[in-house]
Amino acid sequence: MEGVAPPCLKIHGGLFMGEKWIYWLHELGQEDNNIVGKKCANLGELTKAGFRVPPGFALSVEAYKRFMDKTGVAERLQGYLKDFTADPDNMAHAMRFEEASRELRAIAESVSMPPDMEETVKTYYEALCKNAGCKELYVATRSAGPVSHPGQYETYLNVCGEEDVVKNIIKVWSSTLNTRSLIARARLGLSLYYDPIGVAVLTMVDAKAAGVIFTLNPVNGDTSKVAIEGSFGYGEAVVSGNVTPDRYLVDKVTLEIEEKVISDKGSEYVLNPDTREMEYRELPPEKRKAPCLEDREVIELTKIAKKVEAHFRCPQDIEYSISRTIPFPEGIFLVQARPESVWGKKKKESVLGKKTGFQLLLERATTPVKVRL
Amino acid sequence: MAEIKKFPYAKEVKLPPELEGWEEMYPHHRLFTEEMEEWDNGHFWFQDKIHAPEPMYPLDDIFQEAWQIALSQYTTRVFCIPPAQGIAQRMLGCYMYITPVEPPPQEIIGEKAELFGKRVFYVFENYDNLWAKWLEKFQALGREMAAVKIPKELPKFVPDEDVFPYPKGTTEAYEIIESFNTIISQIFKAWQYHFEYLNLAYLAYLMFVDTARKLFPGIKESTIGKMVAGAEVSMFRPEEELCRLSRLAVAQPPVNEILKKEIPAEEKIRELKSTEAGRVWLEEMERIKDPWFYVSCGSGWYHYEGSWINKMDIPFSYMKSYVERLEKGEKIERSLTAISEERDRIVDEYRELIKSEDDKKSFDDAYKVVRTIYRYAEDHLFWVEHWLHTIWFEKIREFGEVLTKYGLLKQSDDIFLFNRFEVPMLLEDLATSWALGVNAPHRGTYWMKIAEKREKILEAAKKWIPVPALGVPPEEVSEPFTVMLWGITTEKVAEWIKGTAVETKDITEIKGFASSTGITEGPARVLKLLEDVVQLQPGEIMVAPCTNPSWAPVFTKIKAAVTDIGGLTSHAAIVSREYGLPAVTGTGIATSVIKTGDIIRVDGSTGTVTIIKRA
Repeated sequence: MEGVAPPCLKIHGGLFMGEKWIYWLHELGQEDNNIVGKKCANLGELTKAGFRVPPGFALSVEAYKRFMDKTGVAERLQGYLKDFTADPDNMAHAMRFEEASRELRAIAESVSMPPDMEETVKTYYEALCKNAGCKELYVATRSAGPVSHPGQYETYLNVCGEEDVVKNIIKVWSSTLNTRSLIARARLGLSLYYDPIGVAVLTMVDAKAAGVIFTLNPVNGDTSKVAIEGSFGYGEAVVSGNVTPDRYLVDKVTLEIEEKVISDKGSEYVLNPDTREMEYRELPPEKRKAPCLEDREVIELTKIAKKVEAHFRCPQDIEYSISRTIPFPEGIFLVQARPESVWGKKKKESVLGKKTGFQLLLERATTPVKVRL
Repeated sequence: MAEIKKFPYAKEVKLPPELEGWEEMYPHHRLFTEEMEEWDNGHFWFQDKIHAPEPMYPLDDIFQEAWQIALSQYTTRVFCIPPAQGIAQRMLGCYMYITPVEPPPQEIIGEKAELFGKRVFYVFENYDNLWAKWLEKFQALGREMAAVKIPKELPKFVPDEDVFPYPKGTTEAYEIIESFNTIISQIFKAWQYHFEYLNLAYLAYLMFVDTARKLFPGIKESTIGKMVAGAEVSMFRPEEELCRLSRLAVAQPPVNEILKKEIPAEEKIRELKSTEAGRVWLEEMERIKDPWFYVSCGSGWYHYEGSWINKMDIPFSYMKSYVERLEKGEKIERSLTAISEERDRIVDEYRELIKSEDDKKSFDDAYKVVRTIYRYAEDHLFWVEHWLHTIWFEKIREFGEVLTKYGLLKQSDDIFLFNRFEVPMLLEDLATSWALGVNAPHRGTYWMKIAEKREKILEAAKKWIPVPALGVPPEEVSEPFTVMLWGITTEKVAEWIKGTAVETKDITEIKGFASSTGITEGPARVLKLLEDVVQLQPGEIMVAPCTNPSWAPVFTKIKAAVTDIGGLTSHAAIVSREYGLPAVTGTGIATSVIKTGDIIRVDGSTGTVTIIKRA
């Protein structure tokens, strides 16, 4: 059921607009990295490969450009920036960037989407709602740069209703103008007004627990282990480091849970239905030190992670979310998968030094066992 | 609680007064004595719970004596493992303590390295052939031992055939002395053979552990155990034969009906003999009895454990339950192919995780080395500790019987209360009195008094809990076998130090090896001897000193296993993994801390046993 669109929509997206700028996830693959950004491309690849990913669609880098150019925002931003000078390495100039960011974002967020784009986005959202069998589906709008900028751009959760979706897509675009990205681009000598990114619009998983999986032990790079972190509520709690998560270490081959550390998780990141804002809510005492995952979920996550790693052929850093309402195992969703950045980049160097079995034996025999008492 | 940094020296150990005179049971060179005091105090000794968990009967000590020489010589003089030396033994309060000898001087290490390279390489290259040769000579030795003729009695007059056509020249007086000398030489020889490849097998295992750890820093030893364990090794054969005989019984009524009866094995055999099908079945059992029923009911290290062939109730009780299970349609055999397939899957999948092609090659080669020889660790056990020891005990009992017959001993097993240097004295005393002529006395009252006293000392020693170690723990131990064989780790010594300060009744948590994963709770059943098995109720958690293949059928009844002795490749660990039971092995103290009926929790993933409720 993941984001299957009526055929007319596919044509719609492509026909009217000249270059295609909106895609269902299953239409995308890794090779579309430069078109829709890494996150969207990877989610598309996961969807296509049969992994359970929340249904959704992606706006390409081209969509960003269309918005900026057709609405005249790009020109206005450049106009504002004409007289802007600030040194990104000078702490005293941070305020100037902050002020500029405020102004620039105000410009970007003050305009509407071009009508044809707005209509298309709404049609896609409607189809998403229809497939999910509900009227107003909660979605997340997430940034997806062709180059990874972890944590630089913004993500909005629990966006609901077609107007809000359109508004939040613009907010994600405008987050390329936030202070930290302006400073980052200034440091690299890139133009400040413009950084085309993709946007993923994904169905929200009503998460009872969520977190991160590494397909190796991040502590020592042991590739025979899968490390899982999790906490109650939405995954942002774990990713942002605001909550001490539960930790599991599972052997990939024997599928045995070899380490299990249940932490005092303090609070969970959830939607406040009154304010419709996400917030950290303190957990009741009996839940704080309760495991957020069942053992069978840990094992299932391990199996999924192994498959993701095998699909991408390198160690992965995966974000998952487990639904409150959909029963096991259908309730487990992947919301992100990217190459693990620390150990995964290390060269495949030999650790055994090309030794034969007999040389290893000799080495062992000449090295005394040392037991420290 | 103040931290205890050292254990007492041998001299400082306070023995219970009932043990007085214990040292007379063992020869001088087995004791902590004055002339060795400086050397002894300079070493860290720990009680050998693997080979001598119980107080040592003087004659059973012969195996220990023999391995002190055999194990050590292969390391120091034959295969020359460069930095390693032998393991020294001492008796204290009827328990055995051991210490690894420190590495030799650097120039010796160099010389040894050269010899090691040459000799060990040869062994690995030719192992299959060498194993065949080993088995051949070992079986020949066992047959020789079985063939040793021990006079059943000393005749009033030697028979005519000993005089005509020409005199034999010797009599039973000589033969009884000679046969004992012969069998002593044979058991020493058997133990020489025992270690022929064992040190190398352990070395190869340790090498593979190192290799695997370099590639996968977090790999568990239980996983490595699964990778190297052989499925088709001699040690599992006895149980396989029981399964086969049980199937035959089911196919040949009324054998199955007779086997299911609640009567002693002896009566079952009598009933079987009275039917045609029974006779055929018995013939089949007799055919495989030697060697496959020559299996100890314990470790093989103590005469009182007995073997299947002299405790037939044990194999018959197993066959009873196998027949019952077969008739319910259950499968009783371990699936050898399933075990091998699972092992291969684990190895293959780990191999696939290795990133560099060079490392894959090294890993394959290291695995080949360990697989070549590791089965020796499992195979030798059956042939030496079970088969040959069974023959040995049977033979020794024959000497005991003669001595009993002529009033030098009260009962034949009392012979085990005399050490191997003393038994010849009893035999000579008997031979002398016979030779001196009718009504010439012997010193039976003296020997019987000693036997009685020693029996009491050993009883007292059983009740005494020996200190786990002696002397000052060194900062580190460098010796290749200690770790694997005895499971000596930093944590273990810390645990001992803790243990010496706490009363056993106050202990609520015990640590051991995490040998088979899973968590379960239930009532404990402490089984000190295999005979206690009859009391075992389904669903109980077995707590035992250690197990061996003659215990295998027990594992179908229990919920989890806990042992005092044994690491991740011990029998209890292997079988628990096969049956998917949680197991914690090598706790050192489980059978003394846990009482039957205590409710305990076994966590086989962390190696922890918790006493939840005392009985």
